[in-house]
Amino acid sequence: MGSCLLSVAEQLFKDLQRTYTQTKHIPDDLLIALRFVFGPCALQALDLVEKRSVKCVTSPSGRKVFQVLGGSGRLYTCYSSCHYCPCPAFSFSVLRRNESLMCKHLLAACLSQAMGLCQQEQVSDQQMTHVLSGQTEANT
Amino acid sequence: MADILEVVFRRFASGPVTSDARLPPDVESNTVVHGDRDSSRCVLFLAAVTAATDLGLKVLFFTQTPFESLQVSLRGSVPGLKLEALKNVKFVYAKTLEEFLEDVASLHELDSPPSLIIVDDLERYLHRSRGGTLQDDLSPVAHVAALLHDTAAFLTQILHGRGENKGPCKFIVSFYPECDGGERQAADLLLSVLERYLQVRCTLDEVRGDGVTGQKEWRVYLSATRPLQDQWGVQARQWCLVVQSSGAVEFRPVIDGEQEIPEEQNISREEGDVETDNKRLN
Repeated sequence: MGSCLLSVAEQLFKDLQRTYTQTKHIPDDLLIALRFVFGPCALQALDLVEKRSVKCVTSPSGRKVFQVLGGSGRLYTCYSSCHYCPCPAFSFSVLRRNESLMCKHLLAACLSQAMGLCQQEQVSDQQMTHVLSGQTEANT
Repeated sequence: MADILEVVFRRFASGPVTSDARLPPDVESNTVVHGDRDSSRCVLFLAAVTAATDLGLKVLFFTQTPFESLQVSLRGSVPGLKLEALKNVKFVYAKTLEEFLEDVASLHELDSPPSLIIVDDLERYLHRSRGGTLQDDLSPVAHVAALLHDTAAFLTQILHGRGENKGPCKFIVSFYPECDGGERQAADLLLSVLERYLQVRCTLDEVRGDGVTGQKEWRVYLSATRPLQDQWGVQARQWCLVVQSSGAVEFRPVIDGEQEIPEEQNISREEGDVETDNKRLN
């Protein structure tokens, strides 16, 4: 995936943030653009956003991470500064085949952040360490 | 802060370096070092020493194998080197992938975070954690690289917030996957996963020596991974790493295929004697 497509995606998130902050609504042109850039996982991601499946987990040190509750009930930890998800779809479609920019969990995290629809959770710095290392989930 | 490795190469260069091609400061330039274990370890150690002594940075050096010996002689390479500054380098001997991940994930708990994180032999952490080949499941490779990236990004915010003018927190990993049957495609796939999170690749190619001088030589190629190519260009920067039989280490820039060698050194090569014009170095 070219760096230009990443730039397009980032601009989309900025446009979404601006528009949603004002109207609390995603206009059709943005929906079409999301579908065009991210493919079928755009609608799956929006579904996760609608269900408020994304949680922003923070700790006193200021460290932040996102956790997304997938359709299977499993919690996926995504980092705030770069694209990574432990789900099989990310491993296959993004890393191996380079067919997609993101999986639906990662996209849901980006969309939730842009739209201000993340749930919030505070944990201790030690708990954050376990969450970041993939050892435990914050709260299932 | 210029790219750490370019600082290392200039620090240990045998003479003035005329090339002014550097990375812009404050550009994210996390690096993967791709080469045989000995040379990679040497480069990582020199990076730690340079960062600690010359740049005054706190360095965290992750390795499974304690340093018992090194090919290089620091005192032989840089007389007058102040080794007491090496107290800024902390070695962490994490035995397993799980220990390593937890150590990196816990860096936000430190009162005094590092500015440079070095990981020696990343593939050993990944191999020991599971059976099968690395390329069967790319997620662990990506997980490690993403965690390092996220940690460095967070520590950069902390360092900037404290007004510590030491540039962004960076990380350098060495990674030399031994794929079944030496399949280059599998190795390239693993590197491509790493390079989603790292911006610079440093490749070390050993140059076959004559066996007489006792010195070892590697060609060093610094190239940008895709996101950074717009700023840095596609062309790889080349250096030559020479380790003398005494252990003294030297880096020489390579421009247009030619090493820049100080005038006082006459080097005999297979092609014939070469004398460099001092004007080239000025």
